[in-house]
Amino acid sequence: MPKWALAWFGLTLVVLAFGFFKAMTAPTEATMGNLYRVFFYHLPHTILSFVFPYLNCGASFLYLFWRSRNVERAAAADAFALASAEVTVLYSTVGLATGMLWGRAAWGIWWAWDARMTTYLLLWLLYVSYLLVRRFSSVGQTAVISAVLAIFAAIDVPICFMSIRWWRTQHPAAVFGGGADSGIDPSMVPAVLWNMLAWAMWGAFVLGLRYAIERRRQRQANAYALGFLGDEGSSVFQETR
Amino acid sequence: MIPFHTLSQRHLVYAYCVVWLLEFGYGAWLAVQWRKSKG
Repeated sequence: MPKWALAWFGLTLVVLAFGFFKAMTAPTEATMGNLYRVFFYHLPHTILSFVFPYLNCGASFLYLFWRSRNVERAAAADAFALASAEVTVLYSTVGLATGMLWGRAAWGIWWAWDARMTTYLLLWLLYVSYLLVRRFSSVGQTAVISAVLAIFAAIDVPICFMSIRWWRTQHPAAVFGGGADSGIDPSMVPAVLWNMLAWAMWGAFVLGLRYAIERRRQRQANAYALGFLGDEGSSVFQETR
Repeated sequence: MIPFHTLSQRHLVYAYCVVWLLEFGYGAWLAVQWRKSKG
């Protein structure tokens, strides 16, 4: 692993530790008490799980654009799409789990079929299905099918993001940018920002590492295929050109 | 000392533990895959 990646990893751990410290030392909330501290992990994961799908969608567009123009770039875009989909599933799983644990303690229920939770569950299911398609579809079709699925899946992200603004149901309204009554006490903002930064850095690290692993796997698969085909393979390529 | 007496205290601890388990579990899995892919 490159030294800069290790330095990034080390810095990320420091920021994560500081974010945890800020979350634990922020003032106690008036109505929920210490339970509200789930917010410092729930919010960053939920917001970031709206960002990674767009990386996945962008990479999928690039794959479809490059697949008949530049094979190497197309392969890189496909690897990035896979990595960003995995990180989306990871972050949305955390968002769901922390939301349910918080909901059970604050509302007395694990789940409600309200607009935000339902569209968020749909987001999670879409990206899980994306990974299943990648895992089980026929070789040769995987990248194209998953790229098209990724573009459709990204449509759910703005719906989910806007759901707490369009419909007032069980989930609280938007804390930031949700109108005149939204926002939190200024003394709690540093804990939010530090944890946003920390989990964004961690997300970038795991995304980069997953991308690097997939690129390595692609190169090994190519080398294996070329070695297997040998001279006959190269003659096949010549004949079909 | 970790507060663990009430439901809300327990769920706060569970939520943080779930986050660390999932995130660092995935990180550890990636580290294993990275080492395996060297060969």
